Amino acid sequence: MERVKERAKVLEIKDLRVSFHTRRGVFKALRGVDLELYKGEVLGLAGESGSGKSTLGLAIMGLLPRNARVESGEVLLDGSKDVLKMLRDYGSRDVKFDPRKNEKLIKRLNKELREVRGRALAMVFQEPLTSLNPVLQVGYQIAEAVYYHDPMRLVRRAISRNRCTQADLRDLMTTLKTKGEEALIEEVEKRNLRGLEEQILSIWRRQDIHEAKKEKLILSLDKHKLDSKDRLGISIYLRGLQRVPVLGRLAKDALIKEGYRLAVEILTYLGIPHPEKVVRMYPHELSGGMRQRVVIGIAIVNNPEIVIMDEPTSALDVTIQAQILELVSSLKASSNRSFIFISHDLSVLAEVSDRIAIMYAGKIAEVGPVKVIFEEPQHPYTKMLMDAIPTMDKTELKAIPGSVPDMRSPPKGCSFSNRCPFVMPKCKEMEPPMVEVSEGHKVACFLVGERK
Amino acid sequence: MISIKLWVYVLRRILILIPTLIGLTLLVFVLVHIQGNNLILAEYINPRLTGQARELEIQRLTQEFHLDQPVYVQYFYWLGQVLTGNLGYTNTPIYSGPVTTAITLFLPNTVVLSLFAALLIWLIGIPLGVFSAVNRDSPADQGIRVFSFTLYSMPIYLIAIALILLLGVYLNVLPFSGEVSPQMVAGLSWFRDGISYPTHVLLIDAILHGDYAVAWNAFLHLIMPSLTLALAVMAGIIRILRASMLEVLEQDYIRLARAKGVPERVVNNLHARRNAMLPVVTSFGYTVAGLLGGVVVVESVFDFPGIGYWTTQALLNNDIGGIMASTLLFGIVLVLTTLILDLVYAVVDPRIRY
Amino acid sequence: MEERTEEGKYSNLILSLKVFFSNRTAVAGMVIFLAYVVDALIMQFDPRLLGVTNPNQFTYNFVNPVPQPPSSQYPLGTTYPGINLLQAILEAIRVDLGYSMLIVVGGAVIGAVVGILAAYVGGYLDELLMRFTDIFFSVPYLVLAIAVGFALGRSFTSMVIALIIVWWPIYARYTRSLTLSIKESVFVEAAKAAGASMVRIMFKHILPNTLPPVVVQISLDLGSVVGVFATLAFIGFIPNANTPELGYLASLGLNYVQSAPWTVIFPGLAITLFALSVNLMGDGLRDVIDPRRRS
Repeated sequence: MERVKERAKVLEIKDLRVSFHTRRGVFKALRGVDLELYKGEVLGLAGESGSGKSTLGLAIMGLLPRNARVESGEVLLDGSKDVLKMLRDYGSRDVKFDPRKNEKLIKRLNKELREVRGRALAMVFQEPLTSLNPVLQVGYQIAEAVYYHDPMRLVRRAISRNRCTQADLRDLMTTLKTKGEEALIEEVEKRNLRGLEEQILSIWRRQDIHEAKKEKLILSLDKHKLDSKDRLGISIYLRGLQRVPVLGRLAKDALIKEGYRLAVEILTYLGIPHPEKVVRMYPHELSGGMRQRVVIGIAIVNNPEIVIMDEPTSALDVTIQAQILELVSSLKASSNRSFIFISHDLSVLAEVSDRIAIMYAGKIAEVGPVKVIFEEPQHPYTKMLMDAIPTMDKTELKAIPGSVPDMRSPPKGCSFSNRCPFVMPKCKEMEPPMVEVSEGHKVACFLVGERK
Repeated sequence: MISIKLWVYVLRRILILIPTLIGLTLLVFVLVHIQGNNLILAEYINPRLTGQARELEIQRLTQEFHLDQPVYVQYFYWLGQVLTGNLGYTNTPIYSGPVTTAITLFLPNTVVLSLFAALLIWLIGIPLGVFSAVNRDSPADQGIRVFSFTLYSMPIYLIAIALILLLGVYLNVLPFSGEVSPQMVAGLSWFRDGISYPTHVLLIDAILHGDYAVAWNAFLHLIMPSLTLALAVMAGIIRILRASMLEVLEQDYIRLARAKGVPERVVNNLHARRNAMLPVVTSFGYTVAGLLGGVVVVESVFDFPGIGYWTTQALLNNDIGGIMASTLLFGIVLVLTTLILDLVYAVVDPRIRY
Repeated sequence: MEERTEEGKYSNLILSLKVFFSNRTAVAGMVIFLAYVVDALIMQFDPRLLGVTNPNQFTYNFVNPVPQPPSSQYPLGTTYPGINLLQAILEAIRVDLGYSMLIVVGGAVIGAVVGILAAYVGGYLDELLMRFTDIFFSVPYLVLAIAVGFALGRSFTSMVIALIIVWWPIYARYTRSLTLSIKESVFVEAAKAAGASMVRIMFKHILPNTLPPVVVQISLDLGSVVGVFATLAFIGFIPNANTPELGYLASLGLNYVQSAPWTVIFPGLAITLFALSVNLMGDGLRDVIDPRRRS
């Protein structure tokens, strides 16, 4: 727990308030959310449907729909970049909200955030069936993410592979086997073959094949030379002619082709069988679990600092769900990325999260390390959620009585007061403040304050 | 593996055509026979014959078409004649002679006109529809919507006249009658009696003979008819495309494209447009039907010598041969075009093959 | 139970009206459409109200046949041969509206019966119908109308028959697809379980549910049918027609279009405005019956 404190904050959300303006009224989706995300952790975000957890994910990405008004609050990336500034400047003004004006701002925001999205911040959506473009090949959809953020990476990969010789590969292989990965990277750097190391390492780190097979694959990397069309495309790119109509097309084709190779590596890493075939397939030819892996592949291909996963397993059946969870755990272990994992299923969160935040009616009710939340939950809502988790030994499940309040006119005071068994008169009057009960464990409930 | 499946699809799609084409001939046959033997005789008698010779020809035809036998027997004899290319005679002021010759004279012009119109639709209609949806509710969008809605409500002859008045009479920038200015082609060796050789399309023939001034003139004459056709058909396309684009832009995969930082231009023009085009392509059957039907009106308003002009001339001169042949021809062209578009659809939408 | 459905229907109707009347352009379309209908009715039953003695014929004036520009005597000018354009248009609206209604409703009735039958019976009958309609779709509708009308003899009657023949397959296909989806619904299953006869199910349960979308389609088609009808008359389908018809009226002025453009523009505007009004109205009606657009 001490370590959590030491880590740098990569994302900070301060007093975020978002409402949706619809024909049936104004729905207050987020009503003052404060949350931090630290480097290298998985933050689980739990809550019933309608609690605002998906809206929070979209708000961080700046992907809100046009009828979403950002009334106040900040989303700070790396402590400085304020993602929602533009929308908040309009939404916090005391004028009648016009979705058309908001849409214009969203368009500008899309342009402004283009560099950030997919590179620093990535997102996996709930519905793998609808989140891939049905008319584009899977490989293209992965390659594109790299092409628009780091085209030079594709160029380096292609050129280094084209330039390397059998002797180079043998030397590098020896370095890798005797001195390890760090030394390999140094050696590649020395031979001016940058771009080759990731190709070698992606084979080296595979766990599905035997050592000898890996070696064979690495040594055959120099067989995949560029054809004349690709060489032309890449040289066009290097001369900065990618904006010229026809030439630009050639350059893009060549880089995207290299992107397909990268996509194969990513899909292999994500455990998809026959990735060479899969990259040439269209989404409808894949199963739900495969598609979700592809979406995850798109999210991680640029090594973003933060990945937001919005119920990535909810639409999948249980066995696939387990595989995806395993995948997320291994991703977490192998990188220094931070994840926000949104789910309504606490047992899923227990498996992957370091910390858990419980959301209720657009606010954070309780947040703390996973162990603390599960072992000593403080907020009555959290406690009731814990009781509602089905387990083997319990014969009776305790449902939470009542329902989520109408978000058009949330109750005064604590929003959980109408369902809370420990409700006090005070709860109906004032909103309980966030109180830190122990290191990193915060609760928004008067009961906790009383006890202290 | 995919390509084998595609071929099976193509084959199946072609097989479905056969009953339709048989039905088409049946339909024309019924129309020809609705007034007993009068129409079919009128269709097949050489209009130059008179008196005794005409009587003899009637007897010969009665025998050849078995006009004394039951109707269903007649159908097969008639079909036999049609399949061997015997479509009778046409007698109109613009051409008098065998129908098959008339087709070779008029069809190429209509094909060029339609292709040109299709090109204009592609170049103007599709960008307008996409632009309108992407800039929803902007003044430009409102303008495009009013424009397409009004066009959609105008009968095609009115669009033609509006263009004639605007571009032809008031601005006086474009010619609006015939396929070429008569003085341009006077005395040309490859142009006789209003017919150009060898392709019968003046624009192409002029280029083939290196007569670029004539070619340019023919091109100018092509603009107004094709623009009229394009505008008439475009109205529907813009409306469908705008609606489907708006729907596509709300989809999850568009959100994902944005989430991975694809530039807005690419999101709109690749990710969204390709999907939004699918309903447009599906409705292309109706579009082409409208385009070909429009040809009839446009060619007669602009005196453009194509199949449509011939059809109206045949109508006005009570020429059964011209009417029935063009019905059959328009039918075949429409059926084949829809076939081609279906195959294009199969290529554009990867889901269709399975 | 009965009461509740009655109440449900009632509130549904109110919501529908609300949706329709909140759409200003649709209401504008309806007002224009009603104006056309009123004009047609006056011409049918009491043309003298508008100063017309015989609405079945143009009033020629061979003394001054050349088109005159709009003036106080002729607010919209005259067309060849000396026809008062305003009066002619007011007369022609009755003819165009009447014939178009006849065509669309005729086509819709035939199409609906065939479509429901095919979809409900299914099997070979359905397949047969689909192939049969394919034939009609295989010829561009304007060309088909010309051919059919020609074979029947060039007159208004054969033009109407030709256009009904062109239009019914559209409705057959449309009601077929509607029926196929309604067929699967719970209330049809319930009626079947209750032992209702096939005819009863088709006409008592399915037909009323296909009606709203078909009515919307009718209103949308009315605009195109008026256009096609006028177009046929414009290209000279009917020889020497002395009948007030907007397309024919426009063709009268065609030779003068350069010097007297109003002879073509005003009859054309009359058609465009009508088509525009029914299209706007139809769009509004579609919003009413489409639950997706409703919310």
